Amino acid sequence: MTISRSPVELLEQIEELSGQTVSDCYQCGCCTSGCPIGEAMDPPPSKAIRLLQLGKASELLDSDGIWMCASCLVCGTRCPRAVDYARIAEACRVLVLRSKQSRVDPDTVTVPELEEIPQQAFIAAFRKSSV
Amino acid sequence: MTRYTYYPGCTLYTKARNLDLCARKAAEKVGFELVEMPSWNCCGAIYNAASDDLAAQVGPLRNLAKASQLGDKLVTLCAACHNVLKRVADRLSQPGNEVERDRLVAFVDEKFDRPVRVLHYLEVLKNEIGWDKVKEKVTKPLAGLKVASYYGCLMVRPKDVLEFDDPENPQVMDDLMRVLGAVPTRFDFKAECCGGYLVVNRRDVAKSASKKILDNAKAWGAEAIVTTCPLCQYNLDKLRVTTDGSIPVFYFTQLLGVAVGLTQDELGLEHNAGDPAGFLKAKGLL
Amino acid sequence: MTQDASRLTSDAGNTHAEAPGVDPRAPSVRRVGVFVCHCGINIAGVVKIPEVLERVGKLPGVVVTKDYKYCCSDPGQQMIRDSIKDDRLDRVVVACCSPTLHETTFRNACDEAGLNPYLCEIANIREQCAWVTEDKDEATTKACGIVRTTLTKVVHDQPLEALTVPINKRALVVGAGIAGIQAALDIANAGYEVVLVEKEPSIGGHMAQLSETFPTLDCSQCILTPRTVETGRHPKIKLMTYSEIDSVAGYVGNFKVKIRQKARYVDFKTCTGCGACLEKCPGRTEAWFERGLVRGKAIYRLLPQAVPNRPVIDAKSCLYLTKGKCGVCAKVCPTGAIRYDDTDKFVEEEVGAIVLATGYELFDATKLGSYGFGLVPDVIDGLAFERLLSASGPTSGEVKRPSDGKTPKKIVFVQCAGSRDSTTGMPYCSKICCMYTAKQAILYRHRVHDGEAVICYIDVRTPGKGFEEFYKRATDDGIKYLRGKVSKIYRQGDKVVVWAADTLAGRKVELEADMVVLATAVIANPDGVALARKLKTQIDSHGFMTEAHPKLRPVETLTAGFFLAGCGQGPKDIPETVAQASAAAAKVLAMFGNTRLTHSPTTAEVDEEICVGCGYCERTCAYDAVKVDPARKKAVVNAALCEGCGACAVACPSGAMTHKNFTKKAIFEMADSF
Repeated sequence: MTISRSPVELLEQIEELSGQTVSDCYQCGCCTSGCPIGEAMDPPPSKAIRLLQLGKASELLDSDGIWMCASCLVCGTRCPRAVDYARIAEACRVLVLRSKQSRVDPDTVTVPELEEIPQQAFIAAFRKSSV
Repeated sequence: MTRYTYYPGCTLYTKARNLDLCARKAAEKVGFELVEMPSWNCCGAIYNAASDDLAAQVGPLRNLAKASQLGDKLVTLCAACHNVLKRVADRLSQPGNEVERDRLVAFVDEKFDRPVRVLHYLEVLKNEIGWDKVKEKVTKPLAGLKVASYYGCLMVRPKDVLEFDDPENPQVMDDLMRVLGAVPTRFDFKAECCGGYLVVNRRDVAKSASKKILDNAKAWGAEAIVTTCPLCQYNLDKLRVTTDGSIPVFYFTQLLGVAVGLTQDELGLEHNAGDPAGFLKAKGLL
Repeated sequence: MTQDASRLTSDAGNTHAEAPGVDPRAPSVRRVGVFVCHCGINIAGVVKIPEVLERVGKLPGVVVTKDYKYCCSDPGQQMIRDSIKDDRLDRVVVACCSPTLHETTFRNACDEAGLNPYLCEIANIREQCAWVTEDKDEATTKACGIVRTTLTKVVHDQPLEALTVPINKRALVVGAGIAGIQAALDIANAGYEVVLVEKEPSIGGHMAQLSETFPTLDCSQCILTPRTVETGRHPKIKLMTYSEIDSVAGYVGNFKVKIRQKARYVDFKTCTGCGACLEKCPGRTEAWFERGLVRGKAIYRLLPQAVPNRPVIDAKSCLYLTKGKCGVCAKVCPTGAIRYDDTDKFVEEEVGAIVLATGYELFDATKLGSYGFGLVPDVIDGLAFERLLSASGPTSGEVKRPSDGKTPKKIVFVQCAGSRDSTTGMPYCSKICCMYTAKQAILYRHRVHDGEAVICYIDVRTPGKGFEEFYKRATDDGIKYLRGKVSKIYRQGDKVVVWAADTLAGRKVELEADMVVLATAVIANPDGVALARKLKTQIDSHGFMTEAHPKLRPVETLTAGFFLAGCGQGPKDIPETVAQASAAAAKVLAMFGNTRLTHSPTTAEVDEEICVGCGYCERTCAYDAVKVDPARKKAVVNAALCEGCGACAVACPSGAMTHKNFTKKAIFEMADSF
């Protein structure tokens, strides 16, 4: 699926891929307060969902924040409305990746890093962030 | 001795040799055998959550299919592999997913006509062997070593699929430490994320997440941390996040190995950062 | 065709003459009037009224058909009354909305025109007909079918007399928090006797635990104690504390209640309340009144101003009662009031009305795994903080933190701890927390002038009089409101760390506090829930007692004779509780204002010639209304208890049990007619 130009359709794509309904969110902010990356993520989870609620999905797809999610699932586990932001971020990333835009270029990894970091980290990182 | 089909995963053979090696040897001492499944492939390292992402399920599916022909249980050791395999197995077995399942199964040569349960090594110890039997095999109790048990996020979430333990305050690894004669310390970051794969392109974020975990462990008096995932181990141990003296980060199988009397060579301590051997010797455990 | 037996009509005279010259045993010679209501466009917008009138007019027995825009209006009812007289009707069918709304209206109209009200039946052509389809033909055909079926029933109906039962003009109030106290006082001041049962040793409920109340900052004890004292001294109130309801039998106006008076081990008559025993007791118990901040003694009084001012012994923590040691209270008691050999006693009371005011509890926050409650001593709940603020509390009103007794310089208040959360099973808002948290922050800063208060919230709800102004008072005082639900609370070193968020600025915030107060969710008192189950009164999925109608009948239940007041029905603050309690009392007094109560006569009936006393009916009845007389081996129906559900008539294998105006013959013909 390609990223739709229509904001309504784009939100539908995101909801279908993530299996979440953004109108369930009442913006309590628990996802943001519990996110281990919360301080560095822009926009943080609750603000990201707010963008979707306001029809600004394309702004979210352009942001840095969705690439910062580590898929740790704390947000969805503690959400009082059981909204899983991790899956929403994944849906956004997947839409960008499928339009052939890589976020992380595997060629930028240095040899020492390659030798040191566990390979599962590379596999996971590239699966989440590269085409 | 009971034999279990075993899935090591990519990292356990190389960078996390120290997790795998002593896991197998300790298993023998405790009374079960891990039999590596033939020609397994990478599990994918992380579960793909997009609802239409079927291709990503094929890799894990193939492992499950192979394992299902060898027995009804599949034991994993790495928290990440466990997470992926168990979630894929759950997804395939959900009522209503038969069409998806059949399409995926058509992609692999192996038959997947029998159910297979994905178990973590800790579950084997607790539910299959039993803490009492494990305790019998302890020859060198850990002399009250204060240990913080770090489970990491992938071990306990999503709760309803993994059914592993209470995500806010899991106890299984703490129970094991107690059985081995160590003292599990209070620890508020048992299942908070270490940053995971973000270490590849956002090292700073992984460092700050890991630092919080280490700070809390030390604040509660932990002398060491145990983990079950090579990536968590890397982030906590090798990122060098704290300036005021790191504490050693072991795999739980290494401490298990010490307690059941493995030799120093069998523990793979050279793969840990710092001087873990010296630390253990100083504690009279080696 | 429902009967709402809890609708109590006044005892206006019931005269109902059959239309003259009609043989009641011959359905074919009935004279039925069918009145079709448009209900504005509700029915007429979908159902083709002229067609219904035409088709129904041809049915046997129908002598007149009329339609009107709003039959329930005065002119509508007048049309029916006039037709009964002018067309000499002996049966009436009104095709309109649900009988739960206007069956009484139309039956009363018939009654006024001299037709027995039970010869009037409602054909509901709205709720399951006009309101469920847009297809006019479909709706019209179904409407005709419904009317036809109702017509079949009404020609079989026999005139019935509503029965009347006497009323025992005494009331029972269960629970003596502010709701129970208010209801009891209102009923007693009207001159009727009230039995007030409270499970704790003294009255006042949770209000007795509070320090000051919002928005006036009245001292809670100061406004409560005049009521409790009045209750204790009232000549018409029989106060039974440390007692619980064991069972309730009977029916509205005539309840027999069995009350268990728990063993106190103290003779309330001999005891003077001097308190000597309290000083010496070495036994320790979890003091629930102090919310776990201190351990209480085995012989205890809830508070110094307790009514009645008599201690009781908690048998589980008393050294003498468990191990035979100590006994110091008996030794120091100047009047010899200690009774170690005390036992539970049962008391029977007869009353006509019961008010349930069992109150609330706070959700156990240990179940909120990430909040550290129960693990971190300086994380406490709202009621515990009230005890810290209370002059009669464990710290004499000084704010000290539980772990080391130091004065906290920064407190974080966490709202919505468990409430508004579908994952904890409490998706509702607990209503009082926004206000009491603002109050607690204001009171904290009154005591600790350099203290910093941060309130983490999702919304601030201030729906009452003076509430919004009170919230402004809090913010004017420098109390910081941070919008974001807290995700995690833990202790690190000397501080309590709170992971919060500022969603208005769009970022995560980490706070370090000395103490954290959780505004935990309000839940129904579990003892109240257990009692409701025992009494078979209705509770919702959260355990709160269900009112008869959420808008128009907030203090009644669907079980005749049972009324509701206070937080047992749903979270609410003190002004609302008092208002609801007085409303419940008013309903009781309205009942007592009659000489007798009427009860619907569409009850079960036994044909004794056929009945063999097999007992199937007795086993089926949910109301204990039918019992087999063992001597005669015949089923006997107590019509006053019978709610006319029909289950016994269905269960009866021989057909001996019938249901007045719901005979088998009528029902089978109705089924065939549709």
